[in-house]
Amino acid sequence: MDVIVVFLIICGLIFFTGGAVGILRFPDFYSRLHPAGKLDTGGALLIMVALALFNLHHFSLSTLLTGFKIILIVVFVFLSSPTAIHGIVDAGVRAGLGPWTKKND
Amino acid sequence: MRILGIIVVILTGALLIYAMGDFPSWADPASPAHNHVSPRYIEKSLEQTSVPNIVTAVLADYRGYDTMFETTVVFAAGVVCFFLLRIPRKDEPTVRRYRHTLTGMTIRVKETRQIPPVLEEFERIDTLWAPHDLIIKTCCRILVPFLQLFGLYVIAHGHHSPGGGFQGGVILGASMILLAISHDLRTAIGRMSERVHAILCPAGVFIYAGTGALCMVLGLNFLDYGALAGILHVDPVTARSHGILIVEIGVGLAVMATMIWIYNNISSKGKYDEGL
Repeated sequence: MDVIVVFLIICGLIFFTGGAVGILRFPDFYSRLHPAGKLDTGGALLIMVALALFNLHHFSLSTLLTGFKIILIVVFVFLSSPTAIHGIVDAGVRAGLGPWTKKND
Repeated sequence: MRILGIIVVILTGALLIYAMGDFPSWADPASPAHNHVSPRYIEKSLEQTSVPNIVTAVLADYRGYDTMFETTVVFAAGVVCFFLLRIPRKDEPTVRRYRHTLTGMTIRVKETRQIPPVLEEFERIDTLWAPHDLIIKTCCRILVPFLQLFGLYVIAHGHHSPGGGFQGGVILGASMILLAISHDLRTAIGRMSERVHAILCPAGVFIYAGTGALCMVLGLNFLDYGALAGILHVDPVTARSHGILIVEIGVGLAVMATMIWIYNNISSKGKYDEGL
């Protein structure tokens, strides 16, 4: 059990690190939002699942309930985070910001 | 007039800075607050109010006056925003824009006082119109009820966990503002009109002050919730716990209504007809 938990947390941390590096290194607004939207959500999923599993060490109704609540957090993050990114991208398109291409650089 | 204002501000500031000299020094363990007040709260609050969260007990019971006037300040902010920004409806004709949903054609209707017949295939749009985004609209519509449920939970669970009236009220208000942002202001006003804000905002303050006054009528001090024991049919300690809950509900109502009220007034520039 512990092995799975540690593996999931490390995977989640890799996702978060990738997201942070991507936000810093990508060339323009839209491509920066891409890691912000995807990797953060994925990292949150992995870490939350790991925490829910870790919480189930002592199996009882209350820990099961706590695990369910943690999974619920994941559901809401999955709903809200991509929607927020979508809204930001939409605002960028509407404000007239063009995407980055190689010849601009 | 401006010079007079500056003089008053400088004098007040100087007075405040002068008064700071009498404060106990930073993190002084011998200051009065650390000698008598805090240990008493920490030791006695559970047995006196049966509220496990000391912050809530201090905020709503021991320092009830403070919180009551904080709520009044929130209420005053809403009312001031209303008086400053709100433009009452004028009689001169206004221009409204409608969009034919099937063809995407936009028409301008120069309106006199008569409201045009509402047709199914025409929808009213703002002057600066951005088409509604289906993804954002749907997701926000799914999220809003959960947000409101969470806000109610934060208000009701303030006894046991961080939270209470102010925080829960802010979450409730934010859920309505999210509706206004994701759809438009008219949708949010259709759900909760200006009249409702104007009633709920003072109603929250009234619940708070009314609870205090009720305690006084029942023979104890103002805001001493132990007096409610007779009405609620519980012992005085549990009555104090329940009194805190009643007061928190009042705070939550006032904060929620004020937030939405201020947002609506600012985003529509006081006209209440269009805006985000």
